[in-house]
Amino acid sequence: MPATQETRRPEKRVGCYVYGILPHDVELTPDSRGIGDRDVSLVRHGQIAALVSEVPLDSPLGTPEDLAAHQRLLDAAAVAAPVLPIKFGAVLANADDVAEELLAANHDEFRDALNQMEGRVEYLLKARYVERTILGEILSENSEAARLREEIRGEAEETSRDAKIRLGEMINEGIAAKRAADTREAVEILAPYSVATNEREPTHREDAAHVAFLVETEKAGRFEEAAADLVRTWRGRADVRLLGPLAPYDFVVTSGGGG
Amino acid sequence: MTTAVQPGGGGELDRPSGSGLADVIDTILDKGLVIDAYVRVSLVGIEVLTIDARIVVASVETYLQFAEAVNRLDLTETKEKGLPEMMKGLQEGGAESKTKGVLDAAGDKLREFADSDDSDEEERRPSRRRRREES
Repeated sequence: MPATQETRRPEKRVGCYVYGILPHDVELTPDSRGIGDRDVSLVRHGQIAALVSEVPLDSPLGTPEDLAAHQRLLDAAAVAAPVLPIKFGAVLANADDVAEELLAANHDEFRDALNQMEGRVEYLLKARYVERTILGEILSENSEAARLREEIRGEAEETSRDAKIRLGEMINEGIAAKRAADTREAVEILAPYSVATNEREPTHREDAAHVAFLVETEKAGRFEEAAADLVRTWRGRADVRLLGPLAPYDFVVTSGGGG
Repeated sequence: MTTAVQPGGGGELDRPSGSGLADVIDTILDKGLVIDAYVRVSLVGIEVLTIDARIVVASVETYLQFAEAVNRLDLTETKEKGLPEMMKGLQEGGAESKTKGVLDAAGDKLREFADSDDSDEEERRPSRRRRREES
């Protein structure tokens, strides 16, 4: 993103990095650290507050440490208070602008959204197929794929490229169908313990399911138990990981208008 | 607010305390409120190094990777097992496998996959069978 506000850029080459929006009545613990291990603070306005830290403007953001710091801070906040996470990389000129342009101008919308997030956290379910199991399933169910596999085994590298592509495409389609079915099953099993779900796009060719759940803190125990059941059910076929509790990244919606 | 709260015990869940980089990327670079929608004037442009964690699922590269995975699968199984052992597994698992349509599709070409090669094979069969109602 190029610099666009030359005239308003502060002389000191620092900006005000915004992590998220919280209710005004939260307190920070002294060990709260932001990007670059900087102190974080709260900019308050009315009933809401922004979680911010200074950030140098002359070097790009986005190292693994930067990304981890952003998420760590928001996830820690989310277990103690409702939080509206802001997408990585939001920088304003200074704290006054945060109070006026971000908080005051959008106060009611943020306040209402925070009320909706009260007592709720996100969990992210990520399941990855066990390769040999899922390939075995597909080859046993798709005789054409099995035939292609035999064909490729007997051929030279160069001559089998087209066959490989056809075989790979069949496997990709097979996995896509299984992913859809397994995602549906995961949602059916876990939705009763959550208030909302968001199915994410796969991030790996062997992903079995990638779903975010918004869960009432009071039901988090039961949700985790249900997820543990899913781990057992899918064992040997897909490896399941549950990340959370997290800030509700998947459940904040940018309206662009007033609340 | 505290930053010291640890997630509760997750039983048998694999619950990494710190998310891996890939998990972080596809969450915080892709999700969350977009600041531009709320602030315009005092927004400061800063270079953000972005890594696109998303993959193009339907690509030739993906297909070739799958084909390679199938090939790798064969090698692994050949190394791990001698033929007599595979035949033994075939016999043991035969009756059940046939009902699932595993063997009759391509005969002994599929012996590796009908083979009870893992101790937890029985445990995972129910879930496999359940997904195979169409066959």
